[in-house]
Amino acid sequence: MSDVSGREVGRITPTAALVKAMLPIALVALLILFSAAESRVLSLGNLSNILNQASYLAIFASAQMLVIITRGFDLSLGTCVSAVSVTAALVMTGSLATEEANALAIVGGVAMGLTVGVLCGLFNGIVVAIFRVNPFVATLGSLNICMGVATMASDGRPVFNVPREFSNIVYSGELFGIPAPILIAAIALIVLHFILAHTVFGRGLFLIGANPRAAEVAGLPARRYVTQAYVLCSIMAAVGALMLTGRTGSGEPNLGGNLTLESIAAAVIGGVSLRGGVGGASSVVLGALFVTVLSNGMNLTRIDGNVQMIVLGGVIILAVFLDRFRSATR
Amino acid sequence: MRGVSKAFPGVKALDNVDFELRPGEVHVLFGENGAGKSTLINIIAGTFAQDSGEYRLMGAPVRGLTPHRARVEGVSPVFQEFSLVPEMTVEANLFLGREIARGGVLDRGAMKSRAAKIIADLGFDLEPGRKVADLSRAHQQMTEIAKALMGEVKVLILDEPTASLTEREASRLFELVAELKASGVGIIYVSHRMAEIRQLADRITVLRDGKLVKTVEAEGVGESELVELMTGRKIDLLFPHVDHKPAERLLEVQGLTLEDGGVLGVDFYARAGEITGIAGLVGCGKSELIRAIYGLEAIESGEIIVAGDAYEEPDPAASLDRGLCYFPSDRVAEGLALDRPIRENVSISALALDRFAKLAVIRRLGERKIVREIVDQLALRPPNIERAVGNLSGGNRQKVMLARGLTRETRIFLFDEPTVGIDVGAKVEVYELMRRLVAEGAAIVLVSSELPEVMNLSNRLYVMHRGRMVAELTGDEIEEQTVLASFFREDEAGENAA
Repeated sequence: MSDVSGREVGRITPTAALVKAMLPIALVALLILFSAAESRVLSLGNLSNILNQASYLAIFASAQMLVIITRGFDLSLGTCVSAVSVTAALVMTGSLATEEANALAIVGGVAMGLTVGVLCGLFNGIVVAIFRVNPFVATLGSLNICMGVATMASDGRPVFNVPREFSNIVYSGELFGIPAPILIAAIALIVLHFILAHTVFGRGLFLIGANPRAAEVAGLPARRYVTQAYVLCSIMAAVGALMLTGRTGSGEPNLGGNLTLESIAAAVIGGVSLRGGVGGASSVVLGALFVTVLSNGMNLTRIDGNVQMIVLGGVIILAVFLDRFRSATR
Repeated sequence: MRGVSKAFPGVKALDNVDFELRPGEVHVLFGENGAGKSTLINIIAGTFAQDSGEYRLMGAPVRGLTPHRARVEGVSPVFQEFSLVPEMTVEANLFLGREIARGGVLDRGAMKSRAAKIIADLGFDLEPGRKVADLSRAHQQMTEIAKALMGEVKVLILDEPTASLTEREASRLFELVAELKASGVGIIYVSHRMAEIRQLADRITVLRDGKLVKTVEAEGVGESELVELMTGRKIDLLFPHVDHKPAERLLEVQGLTLEDGGVLGVDFYARAGEITGIAGLVGCGKSELIRAIYGLEAIESGEIIVAGDAYEEPDPAASLDRGLCYFPSDRVAEGLALDRPIRENVSISALALDRFAKLAVIRRLGERKIVREIVDQLALRPPNIERAVGNLSGGNRQKVMLARGLTRETRIFLFDEPTVGIDVGAKVEVYELMRRLVAEGAAIVLVSSELPEVMNLSNRLYVMHRGRMVAELTGDEIEEQTVLASFFREDEAGENAA
C-alpha cells in the first residue's frame, strides 16, 4: 500500500529506513523463533489460522486507529462490541426468527448491531468533538454506559441460539476458497485505505491529528471530521462484533474483554502514533499480525496465559517508546 | 562566550558568536527577528546548551546548565514568553520554586511581606493577591520582572521588556535598570527601540542571521549605522515600491467590539489595490481585530462588510469562501501541520474545491500540479513538495502558509506579523508577494509590530491602542514620530484626566 503513514515524507535516511523495516523484520524473527521451539507454528494449517485470527484484530485495530490519528482514543471499543453482540443476538433470536426462514431475523440483527455501533460512535464523537471532553474521560464514560446496556439487555447471560445460518456466512463461509473473516477484513481494510489516502475526509484526519488548531484556522471542518471518525470507528467495531458473534454462535455480554487493549496495542505496534497524525491501513495489518503471531506462538509453546498478558503489556510500552524514536528520525 | 554555535532542524540559529558581558554594564543585543538573539539568551539562561563553543560564567566554564542552576548562579532572565503560572496569584508566582518555608510548611506571612516590599521597591502598581490570569499583559510583564529580581541577581536578561508597558511604567523600569547597573549587575537588554537603546546602552552587539556582525561602544554610533549593521543593507532597499491604486472598499468594519473587550468599537476599512496597515503595541488589539474578521474571536457587537455584503458570524471556512484569508503570526501553533508534507499544508484550505477534489475524493495529480506551480512562484527552497514542513526554515514555512492564499480565489489578505522570525531574504520575498497581490487588485491588511514594515508598506496606516482605533494616517503623515505619538496619546489623556 502506498504512503499514507506520513513517515515517508521527505528524504529516507538510513536510520528511518531501518526503523520502518523493523516491524516486518521482528515479525519474521518471531515466526522463526517460535518455529524453532514448536514446529507446528509454521504449518500451513496454523498459518491460515493466524491469518484468520488476525482478521478480527485488524478490524478492531483499524477502528481504533481512525480516532488515534485525530489524537483521540476509544476506550469504549470493547464494551461497545459487547453491546452490539448482545443486541444483535437478541434480535436474531427474537420474534423475527422462525423455524423455516431466519433471513429476516439475521438482517434485522445485523441492522440492530450496526445501529448500536453508530449510536455509540455518535455519542463519543459529539462528547469529544463538540463538547470538547478529553477523549480518555469521554470514552471511559461510554465504556461504562455500553457495559451497562449490554448487561441489562442480556441479564448478564449469553444470548444463545444465534441462527446457524448467520455463523455459516460470517464465520465458516468461503468465497473462492477464502474464509469469510479474512475476506471481510480485506474489504474493510481496502475501504479504510481508500478513505485515508484518497478522500478529503481522510486527509483532514491526518491534518487535524498533526495540528488541530492549525486545521481549524485553515478552515477544515474539524469538529465534524472528528465526530465522523468516532462514528466510523464504532461502525467498524460493530462489524467486528458481528463477526465475533457469528464465531461464538451467541451474543456475549463479556465479548469485548481485552479488545480495547489489544486494538490499541496492534495499532501502536503497527506504527500509529499516539500523538496523532500518523497511521495507515498497512500499519494495522502489520500490527495485528504481530500481536496474533505473538499470542499464537505463545499458545503453541504452552506459555502461561498470565505470562502472555505480561509480555503483551511490555510490548505495548516498547512500541510507544520506539514511536518516540521514530518521530525523532522523521 | 566564545565561538558559540547552535543549530535547530532546518536552521543554523547561531554561528560562531562571541559575546561578553561585564559587571555593571548594559549590553544591548540588537538584530532582526530570527537573528539569533533569543537563541543566545536562551543558552545564557540554560534553557538549552550550545552545540559548540565556550560559555564561561563569572570566569568559570559552564557545563550542563539548567534554567534552575542558572538562576542559582544569579542569571535571571525575563523572556517575552512569560514563565508564570496563570492560575496562581502574583505572590505565589514570585516565589515559584523558592518558596519560603519553615519545616516544610509554607510561610505565607513572610512571603506576603517580602512580595509587598519588592513590588513597592520596584514602584509597580501590582496587587500581590491577584491571579496572574486576570492581569493585563503589562501587569504580567511587571510580575515577570519582579520575579526575576527576587533572588541574588548578577546577570539580568531583559527581552524586549517595554513591549507592553506604558511610557510611565517603562521609565520606571529604566530607573531600575540604572540602579541595578550601579550595584554591579550585568544587564543584557534586547530591544528594537532606538530611543531606549540610546538611553540605556553601554555597548551594543549586532547579530544578523545567527552571525556576530560587530560589538560596538554605544557612544558615537548613529541610528542609521545600527540599522545598516542589522539588515546588511540600506533600509530603502528592504522595502519594495508598492504602487497603490486604491479602488472599492472590499472590507469594512463598523463598531466592532469583542466579547473579551480586546477590541472596542473599532471602525476601519480596506480597499482593493492598497495595503492598509495597522500598528500598535503588543496586546493593543490589532491582531485580535483581523482574527475576529476571519472568525477566530468571539464578537459581541458590530458589523463586518465584505465586498458590500454584511458578513455575520464569521468562521474560517466561510471566510475563505468569501475570498478572505488570514495568515496567523504563530505559524507553529496555528499555521502549519509540521509533520505533514508541504503539499498537504498548501492545499489544506482549498480541498473542498473542484480543482482539488471530486465527490470528496482528492485528485492527487491535479493537487500536485497546482501546488508545485504555486511553490515555484514563491521560490520555495528546496522545491520538493513532499518534504515535511517541520524541516523548513522560518522563511520557507511562511511561504508555505502564504501559498494557501494562492490556492483559491482570494481578494482580501489578512497578514498578522508576517515577517516574525524569518530572515531578511525571505522578508523581501514576502514584501514582494504583497506588492504583486496589490498590483493584481487584492486588498491587503497588514498587522505588524515592526514599525518600519507597516510605515514603509502601507498606503494608509491605522494605529490601535488598548483596543481602540486612535489614528488613521495617510501619505506623508506616516512617519515614526506621528505614529509613536499616537501610541501614547491615549495614555496621556487618561493620566491627565486622572
